Amino acid sequence: MRNSGAVLILIFIVKLISQAAGVSAPGKPKLTSCRSPEKETFTCWWEPGEDGGLPTTYALYYHLENSETVYECPDYKTAGNNSCFFNKNDTSLWVNYNITVVATNALGKNISEPVEVDVAYIVQPNTPENVTAVVVDEDQGPFVRVSWEKPRTADTRSGWITLLYQLRVKQQKDKEWEEYNAGMQKYYNVFSLHPDTEFMVQVRCKPDHGFWSEWTQTTYIKMPDYIPRQRSLWIIITIFSVFIVLILTWTLNVKRNSVKLCLLPPVPGPKIKGFDKQLLKSGKTEEVFNSLVIQGFPPTIDYDDLLVEYLEVYDNEEQELVLDGKDLSEDCIKSKSPSDCDSGRGSCDSRTLLLEKCMVGRKGSGSDQHQYSQHGETSWASTESSECQGLEPGSPESSDGRVKTWPVVFSSPQPHHHYQAETVKPVYHSVPEILNHSSPHIMPTNYHHLHHQDIPQQEGRHGKPACRHSQSYNHFNLDGLNTPAPGVSPSRSLEYVEVQRVNPENMLLLRPLSDPNREPEGSDYAGEDYSKVKEVTSNNILLLRRDTSHHCVDDYSQASQCTTQQPPHPCKPVIYQSNSGMPQEGMRVMGNGYVDSTVLMPSY
Amino acid sequence: MSRSLKQVAVLLVALLCLDPHSRVSSAPICTHGPSGCHVPSLADLFDRVIQHSARMHSLSNDLHSEFEQYFLPSKNSIGKIYRKCHTSSILTPNGKENAQKLAREELTEVILKLLMAWRDPLFQLHQSMAHQQDFNSFSSNKALEMGDMTHELRKGVEKVAEKMRVLGMLGNSVTGLSPAETMLPISDSGEAMSNYELLYCFRRDSNKVQNYLKILKCRIIPEHDC
Repeated sequence: MRNSGAVLILIFIVKLISQAAGVSAPGKPKLTSCRSPEKETFTCWWEPGEDGGLPTTYALYYHLENSETVYECPDYKTAGNNSCFFNKNDTSLWVNYNITVVATNALGKNISEPVEVDVAYIVQPNTPENVTAVVVDEDQGPFVRVSWEKPRTADTRSGWITLLYQLRVKQQKDKEWEEYNAGMQKYYNVFSLHPDTEFMVQVRCKPDHGFWSEWTQTTYIKMPDYIPRQRSLWIIITIFSVFIVLILTWTLNVKRNSVKLCLLPPVPGPKIKGFDKQLLKSGKTEEVFNSLVIQGFPPTIDYDDLLVEYLEVYDNEEQELVLDGKDLSEDCIKSKSPSDCDSGRGSCDSRTLLLEKCMVGRKGSGSDQHQYSQHGETSWASTESSECQGLEPGSPESSDGRVKTWPVVFSSPQPHHHYQAETVKPVYHSVPEILNHSSPHIMPTNYHHLHHQDIPQQEGRHGKPACRHSQSYNHFNLDGLNTPAPGVSPSRSLEYVEVQRVNPENMLLLRPLSDPNREPEGSDYAGEDYSKVKEVTSNNILLLRRDTSHHCVDDYSQASQCTTQQPPHPCKPVIYQSNSGMPQEGMRVMGNGYVDSTVLMPSY
Repeated sequence: MSRSLKQVAVLLVALLCLDPHSRVSSAPICTHGPSGCHVPSLADLFDRVIQHSARMHSLSNDLHSEFEQYFLPSKNSIGKIYRKCHTSSILTPNGKENAQKLAREELTEVILKLLMAWRDPLFQLHQSMAHQQDFNSFSSNKALEMGDMTHELRKGVEKVAEKMRVLGMLGNSVTGLSPAETMLPISDSGEAMSNYELLYCFRRDSNKVQNYLKILKCRIIPEHDC
């Protein structure tokens, strides 16, 4: 009893003394971590506690799960101080290790907290090795290709461990790293790095279930100085196109008007001379259209001039007597009805009327009923009067044997005239020279022809009845030609013939003006100067009878194919028949049925 | 009339043309390898299986972490009772050398055994997790998915084994697992394992399966991946 108490007091005193000296039992160690680099071995590290001032030894003990056998750490050295290395033989996967560390010193020992470790979940590989960064130059621009190798210890080849890699890049001055995951591959291309700068590259890896390794040592790479061509090309293109657009805009602006003209052609306005748009806008249509009226259209022709015409009479021997003209007299006489042949140009009836008027003494203008052209009517009326008047005092002229003005109607360019302009010409009646004196020796040579050349041609061209032609062309003004002009010198080559009258049988009776033997009714004159119309046959053939003392030549001259309903008139009993067969041989029948009597001329 | 005749003629022609070839016959799928449809190679099959196992393991890992975070009663290492997983009776290589020492057939068989052993326990796990209101639906769905994936993985591995057998890489020693092999996870104490323990064990076993498959693949088809 006394001994135990003494021992206790002694121990207490020793403790007090040791405490005063600063030594004690070791503190509790602590296991910090256990790691396996390749899932085949692993290492555990602890942290020693206070050593208590005395040298302390540490021991690691472990036991596997579901087993009570305690093993001590096989290797304290390999991994360094305060570590325990488990080699392959001592490492079992998918088994829990219960590890404790015991610290022992002279005064006591201490045991750490146990730690459960499953090696399969404490894998932390080593860092990747041989990190290389290369600048690769390509068309799109240079980039950096970083490549590395797996840590030496990790066995990925057998599939025991699978590593995933990661790299990070930054410039020297940057604070933050830019991380890229490389997966299981051992290279990586880094794009869009700034040119002419130095970059730092680091790589690390991780198993599929484990911890990340440490970063490798920094690898430096310098990017070359290059111009991003793609971008600069686009910049150049943009500037160029902008420039072109500006130029185009300016050009369009300058040529604004012509462009407007091209794109929006102006609506053509009315281009009528004398047309005032303002008047139209104001709404006064009468004034507007009045300006359209052209003064002096259609052109009016002074028919007074037309009517004045000279009738030339030639000597038969010297020259031919050409009586140009349409045989309109007969036809016109024939066609009394105005509606047949007249289109308003001046009918035969007007001429007939003219004859009657002048001869009788100007009858009333019964020509109203006839169809006149507007101008023709007026002109005819004027000519009638003028001619009638003009010829009265014209007797002194006739005394000279001068021809009275024979009104010759030539086709006036009337608006409704269908003839061609060139065909329209004055038709002169040239009566063959007829000696005023009754010199029978000259007579035989006298004849007159009525040339129907023009008429048939024209008729053929236009298809109009000749009587119309004749009507329009030839108007005989048979006015006061009845007053003969006595004293016409027989020596004169020209002599005028007057149409005595138109007898009811539609015969044109011609006789020389100076013929003293002229009778008011000289239809029966057997003078040689005359050429009487013998007859008009049924088919509207005008038979001109050359009234000579010896023979009578009938000229078949077909004036026209007038569609008249005039019945044929027999010859006058005065006019004796001639051998009608004779001239027929010499006649030349034209293609259209007309007879060209001019052919017969030389034969006479 | 002519139109109807034309139609009839067309029909006749069509019938004549089509008739001999229109016999319905069941053509075997992909009998002729390259000419017909695409037949997955062994490498492709392995890749698929390995990916599947990786997914399965990650799921189990997530669930286990969730459990540890929320539902671990106490980090009481002393009080921890480590029950044996029910699959501890299956001899599995616990190291690389040991795994490499195993023959292909044995390795395949181990994989299949493991996968087979977890079919029912996972179903039970899902059931218990669904019943307990502590778990959210997401966790219970994960458990269900895990069960399905295990099932699929087993099928896949069986196909791979079949393929290997066809190719002559495997002997005929691999036999189907008998239903008696399946064991119920009963601890020594006779109590059923808790969910946490189940998850813990399954996490480990899925890791094993993944590892074994990788080894098998790299042993049979050494490629650049290995």
